[in-house]
Amino acid sequence: MNGLTERTVEGVHQTLLLAQWQLRRQAQFVPLMVVVQVFMAVATVVGYGLLVGEPDPLTALYLATGAPTVTLVTVGLVMVPQMVGQSRMEGSLDWMRTLPVPRIAFLLSDLLVWTLIALPGMALGIVAGVLRFDVDLALAPWFAPATVLVSLTAAAVGYAMATLLPPQLAMLLTQALVFIVLLFSPVSYPAERMPAWLQTAHEWLPIEPMAELVRAGLAHETFSMPARSLVVLLAWAAASLVGAALALRRRA
Amino acid sequence: MEPGDVLSVRGLRKRYRGRRGVQANDGIDLDVAAGQVVGLLGHNGAGKTTLVHQVVGLVRPDAGTISVTGVDAVAHPDQARRLVSIQAQANVPISGLTPRRAIELVGRIRGAEPADVRRRTTDLLDALDLGPWADTPAEKVSGGVARLTAFAMTVVRPGRLVVLDEPTNDVDPVRRRLLWQRIRGLADAGHGVLLVTHNVREAERVVDHLAVLDRGVVIAADTPAGLTSRLRGTLTLEVDTVPGEPVRWHPAAADAVVGHLRATATVPTGAAADVVRWAQAEVDDGRLERYALTPASLEDVYVKLVGADAEQEVQVA
Repeated sequence: MNGLTERTVEGVHQTLLLAQWQLRRQAQFVPLMVVVQVFMAVATVVGYGLLVGEPDPLTALYLATGAPTVTLVTVGLVMVPQMVGQSRMEGSLDWMRTLPVPRIAFLLSDLLVWTLIALPGMALGIVAGVLRFDVDLALAPWFAPATVLVSLTAAAVGYAMATLLPPQLAMLLTQALVFIVLLFSPVSYPAERMPAWLQTAHEWLPIEPMAELVRAGLAHETFSMPARSLVVLLAWAAASLVGAALALRRRA
Repeated sequence: MEPGDVLSVRGLRKRYRGRRGVQANDGIDLDVAAGQVVGLLGHNGAGKTTLVHQVVGLVRPDAGTISVTGVDAVAHPDQARRLVSIQAQANVPISGLTPRRAIELVGRIRGAEPADVRRRTTDLLDALDLGPWADTPAEKVSGGVARLTAFAMTVVRPGRLVVLDEPTNDVDPVRRRLLWQRIRGLADAGHGVLLVTHNVREAERVVDHLAVLDRGVVIAADTPAGLTSRLRGTLTLEVDTVPGEPVRWHPAAADAVVGHLRATATVPTGAAADVVRWAQAEVDDGRLERYALTPASLEDVYVKLVGADAEQEVQVA
């Protein structure tokens, strides 16, 4: 048991060192990336505002709480796989995999790096939403861990995708996913507006539960988290983490 | 597995599936003992990298066993990785970092204490004469410095087994010597070193043992002296040719290989005096620039073993 604790402590330490490695390698571009993330989060809010004009209070609340979900999901499903794809193509992933590091540390360190980069954008996206749509938020105490669950699940799905598919295909797929998350997922608007078949699909996909969780965390007096959605999200989190771990362990 | 072996490979087979399936390893046996530098020679595609990737669990063998200090590396790749440190054939991209920072970070990821890592990093930077570049951003250093940095990243906290895949590529002649000293030093400190290289001539001076890999099989394994003893009865004749003058070899010369303004052949020791007389006459008549008669080198043995088509792959340093 002691050995296990020791390994865990060592693994956490290694994860932080790997994150340091990644951050320092990107150091030159980190400020720019943060700016782009901020821009994207704020643009989502402002852009939707342009699309809908002056929304009623509920629509406004959907838009304001949808923006942070979009940021979190984009980081996991787009930024992380692109980072993995890049390191696969430049050849550093294979070398990194020769290091005596628990395989899941690669995923966690990339996720940590990108979460840090995306955090200011997410926070400012929330502020922009509040200002633009004049809504009142009520933060639930579990908001922070909920965002961790959302970004971890998204990153694990992204990681599995980037490790199992050819790099070019994975990058292309991430581009398509942005589109789906932004427009064809019940993130910034209620699911009822979508065609029935798409509603059914989203009942089994992780995006709607992610949006519901963030929404309920930001405005817990208006929205609640359905138990079924939580189960779906947890199932996705577990399955995608196992998938990503298997993908990272995979031997040619 | 002999006691003292840090690596023991038996009957290792790996076939890459796909349209053009390749039998990369076809029954490899190989041992590396503690305190030894074992050279693994072989031209491109001989199966060297596949072998190395199986030792650290990036590639799964179809058959055979790999044992690293007694740990079954096929069943427990995570344990094997704790015992092995690897310098990959391609340089690890470290843009954004400095050589010193990269070496220190890898040392710490491998579990060394910060103070130890700093001290060892400074030692390595000094020993490889990298001081002037130690704190330069990596995107501004030359390929040779990047290569030496990759070496230092591998040995800042060396595993019981150290695998070096072409460590001397791009490195200038002066630092190459420093590098060879460090490699020898690793073995003298008790690590087992598996050295993958094309650079037969330089490797000859530091390795204790050599294995020649061809088409996925070890076709010869012995000490450098043991390997060259097969050619003890022959000498190598090297001639610098005159442009536009084909070499008219002495009848005793065999296995001629003609390059640009340089050609080599082997001659039996018994014919040495005759051949020298012939060569001197050719030089006097202006048909050769220069000649030299030397004992058969490891490179000659290597070329004989893997065939002349591998000749271009042998890097003459």
